[in-house]
Amino acid sequence: MRKFIYIMLLFAIATWSAHAGGYQVRLQGQKQTGIGLIGTPFNFGASSMFYNPGALSMMKNKYDFSLGASFTMGKAVFQKDATDYQAKTDNPIGTPFYFYGAGKITDKLAVGLGVYTPFGTSTKWDDDWAGQMLIQNISLQAIYYQITASYQINEKIGIGAGIVYATGKVKLNKALPYNNSEANLEGNTANIGFNVGVYFKPNDKFSFGIDYRSKIIMKMKDGDATFTVPSALSSNLPKDNKFDAELPMPANLDFGLAFNVNEKLTIAAEVNWVMWSTYDSLIFTFKESGDLLNSANPREYKDSWIIRIGGQYKLNDKLTFRAGGYYDPTPTNEKYFNPETVSLNTIGLTLGLSYQPIENLSIDLSYLHLLGQEAEKAYEPDNFSGTYKTQTAIPGIGISYSF
Amino acid sequence: MKYRYLIYILSLAILTACEPKIDEFSPSKGSADFTTYLAFGNSLTAGYADNALYSGGQENSYPNILATQFKTVGMQGDFKQPLMPTNNGVGVELISTGLFFHTKYILGYATDCLGQQSLAPVFADPDASQTDLMNQLIAPVVNQGPFNNIGVPGLKSYEALSAICQFNPYYARFKSPDANFVLEEIPKINPTFFTLWLGANDVLRYASAGGASDSITSMPLFSSSMDAIITSLTQYGTKGAIATIPHITSFPFFNTVPYNAIVLTDQSLVDALNLGYAPYNTIMEAMGLEYRINFQLGANPMVIADPTIPLPDSLAMLKMRQIQNTELVLLSIPHDSLKCAYWGSQIPVPDQYILSESEIAAVSDAINNYNIKIKDLAKLHPVALVDMNTYLNEFESGMVFDGINFNVKFIEGGLFSLDGVHLNNRGYALVANYFIKDINRTFNANIPQVNITDYPGTQFP
Repeated sequence: MRKFIYIMLLFAIATWSAHAGGYQVRLQGQKQTGIGLIGTPFNFGASSMFYNPGALSMMKNKYDFSLGASFTMGKAVFQKDATDYQAKTDNPIGTPFYFYGAGKITDKLAVGLGVYTPFGTSTKWDDDWAGQMLIQNISLQAIYYQITASYQINEKIGIGAGIVYATGKVKLNKALPYNNSEANLEGNTANIGFNVGVYFKPNDKFSFGIDYRSKIIMKMKDGDATFTVPSALSSNLPKDNKFDAELPMPANLDFGLAFNVNEKLTIAAEVNWVMWSTYDSLIFTFKESGDLLNSANPREYKDSWIIRIGGQYKLNDKLTFRAGGYYDPTPTNEKYFNPETVSLNTIGLTLGLSYQPIENLSIDLSYLHLLGQEAEKAYEPDNFSGTYKTQTAIPGIGISYSF
Repeated sequence: MKYRYLIYILSLAILTACEPKIDEFSPSKGSADFTTYLAFGNSLTAGYADNALYSGGQENSYPNILATQFKTVGMQGDFKQPLMPTNNGVGVELISTGLFFHTKYILGYATDCLGQQSLAPVFADPDASQTDLMNQLIAPVVNQGPFNNIGVPGLKSYEALSAICQFNPYYARFKSPDANFVLEEIPKINPTFFTLWLGANDVLRYASAGGASDSITSMPLFSSSMDAIITSLTQYGTKGAIATIPHITSFPFFNTVPYNAIVLTDQSLVDALNLGYAPYNTIMEAMGLEYRINFQLGANPMVIADPTIPLPDSLAMLKMRQIQNTELVLLSIPHDSLKCAYWGSQIPVPDQYILSESEIAAVSDAINNYNIKIKDLAKLHPVALVDMNTYLNEFESGMVFDGINFNVKFIEGGLFSLDGVHLNNRGYALVANYFIKDINRTFNANIPQVNITDYPGTQFP
């Protein structure tokens, strides 16, 4: 077990990626992942902190811990417009992870701490690829630290809220149109946000959930910008520079419904309203040579609605199987589709398995397969267009222990 | 332990199974036949750049780029070009003392008469001997032919069918023994497809001499020459593409030195100049002419020679005036003379460095007429029209391709080479793409364009 945790942590400090829904990654619980990434109408223990803090107070035992990670292996392929040129990303394996610990202070009040990674992207194109002036590689990583309180109003209704402290890290490289020139940007930031949720289980058959997570704007201040340019240009483009930029982590509003067909079979559906329209443009402001370097890059994302269905089958006390699927339409604007985030209309298919060797311990496996639908896109400000397609495989593993 | 292995095995299995695929581009030749391709034209076709013909520039000529792309639709064999022996190449200029040979320009640092160092085009090998350069230029390469790229730097339309072109060293070096002029090189290749981009020199040689020498080819001569050339090229029903002539006066060669380059910061100098020109102003007034020369603090229009001013021979030395803001100063003007030898203030800038309003109009009219003719030819023959004039005009307001910004500014604009007239590698790649676009459209073909980012821009030190 120690070894297992060690490997998890090792991966956790690597970057991670997903080619769906902008740069959002909803892999915050393996049980939820297995069932189509549906979590709002469920009480899956401590991981409810993320999916619906209202359900946390409904946990059965006094303490609940949950730990897991996923391994995203994604590739995007690009066919440049009017040419026979194709490029593929060589993305590093990403490892979104989560850890939750929750305890009941009283029968009705539960509190918890969670660490998870709901946003990120890691896209690596070849340095000399056709879109090198737009992006060569980028990694973006946000880690959320959340404290949560959840209160059971009665046996049917639980409410909860969390306060999130989010840290963000971004690193990107792009070529410049001069000989052997490139720009490197790197920055860190932190900000706070919150989530609230209501969990309602009127009877043994039905459960509902509503969850809202606030937008968090990652404001990069004094990030490090390094420019490599020929010496003749170094007075215009100083090597060491500082930049400011901001990137929004959009708000989500989730509605979920679960129905217990019988003691063994549960089916569920969920809708997520992801308020991507907040991502209007990516603005870089530089401390030096601002008139030359400052840029406002349109993104004009639009809100997206993700529709999910899933089911789980409890074979016996030891084994539970899950499956699900969803459709995640791209929030990107087709005029402003930048290969830094290859987000396409995506179909997600999930499988999951929980094995409980003892009653208190659950080992959860999940597998998510993402199919980014082939589409023609352009980033018009740079006159860069072509057809993209993505595929991503994401196996995940987690454990939860309650007592 | 077990989990780790499980993850490894699972990862590997999934990674290999999970490769997104998009259908590959499928090239097609449409109704044209690209088996043997011949490029006919001038310096732009030869791959001339940075004020010289050099092997690297030739390898990046738009015909050579096209040939590579034509291979996807059935071009056979090599595309042969009369390559220069070196990558420094040779350029040649007629100066007062005779011919001056030089290598190509590279971007380097030049020190001016004031001792100030600045980024500027400098010769790649300033110490190259005149004899060596001349020998490189005249060394025959005809035994490597026949050549698919018969673009000849400096060639005018009518020269292609006149023995006069034998005196052009860039033609003489690859001329076939039994050919008398460029047109007679066509049967050596017997093309199934051709490109023709010719006519720029019919105005450029005049314009780059400031209208002081050479002449604009008359319309009837241009017309009959182009008729003869296209008839020869299409005589077996051969298909091809023909390009219009860009408005060369928008090129950096004509737009880099500002008309008001005389910057005065000293009132006493202003006064001295005005005092000096007082007699000029008095005489002009007496002669009933509106020309006046006046200086003030700040940027002043240059004083230029203008032999068209109607003054009697006895006053010929006063045939000068201040330049209009609509007139153009050529990049060939000796910059040190401007800075240190009082050109433009005490000494009028010679006519050969200035395109006056009427000269600009003459050039512009000629280009318009040439292009009407070229468009007519495109209608009469089985050829694609590549309206390069329109395409290149668009760069005046700036264009972007794959995140690279282009405009017509000298050096920083990213389109032109260091001579301000010919294109750089990226510029020629763009030209190749325009050809492909119009060839595809005309012949219902599907030839892949090239990636502009694969071509280097101007190299900064």
